[in-house]
Amino acid sequence: MASRANAMLSRASRMKQKLQTALEASVLEIEDVSYQHAGHAGVKGDATETHFNVKIVSPKFEGQSLVKRHRLVYDLLTEELQSGLHALSIVAKTPQEVGRS
Amino acid sequence: MSLSSSLTLPCFNSSFSLKKSGGLSKRSRFSSLSPRSLPPPIKFSGIFSNPGFPVHGASESNRVSVQCFAALNPELTSTLDKFVTSHKVVLFMKGTKDFPMCGFSNTVVQILKSLNVPFETFNILENELLRQGLKEYSNWPTFPQLYIDGEFFGGCDITVEAYKNGELQELLEKAMCS
Repeated sequence: MASRANAMLSRASRMKQKLQTALEASVLEIEDVSYQHAGHAGVKGDATETHFNVKIVSPKFEGQSLVKRHRLVYDLLTEELQSGLHALSIVAKTPQEVGRS
Repeated sequence: MSLSSSLTLPCFNSSFSLKKSGGLSKRSRFSSLSPRSLPPPIKFSGIFSNPGFPVHGASESNRVSVQCFAALNPELTSTLDKFVTSHKVVLFMKGTKDFPMCGFSNTVVQILKSLNVPFETFNILENELLRQGLKEYSNWPTFPQLYIDGEFFGGCDITVEAYKNGELQELLEKAMCS
């Protein structure tokens, strides 16, 4: 029942749920930019819910390199990546880094 | 260094030869791979704790019992090990250096070109098995994938960030001098 309800949410909503729960994000912005990539090579079928911009501010990124932060995000979105999510543009910062800028 | 012996694998189906200048040229025959010419994907079952790559059918728990197929086998791993260390800068991308076929890949190409560093590219659109194998090899689900001095550096976002703060230039300089 929960999984059926989950499937009816948009990809962005599902992504938000997964990332928010795991990362305790103070900022979590997800933008579907699939329309900008419609028709480009390697994207099969309709270009909907394929490309997203994700901005996350989370204390869980503390002490982690960018590669580790991005891998953490990708790992949390494994299911989405296997079901049509094609690319993510990720901004992953800690609260201190955002406070400094 | 000749890579031809290690790269006449059915799954890779290409061969490399050294140009006189020391660069690599690639003759690729990716367009006519038949199922029989490919090595069988690894089929395995077992208990995994955080396998580190997407596993079809895996549940949310860390330990899962699954049966799945992997594109990465020891031969391909060995071939990729050699390829990423054959040049100081290697970019796995969509399209080619002269004709990128994706905005993210193009961004990285333009950054590298603007820094005047020699770099080798590989078009992952030419070979689906390699495309999937690389995701496992790099533990990175998207392209482009940039390798510097044999180490995975990152994708487009990381490359752009490092370019803006000078870290990329520093690392490339260090790699070129070593």
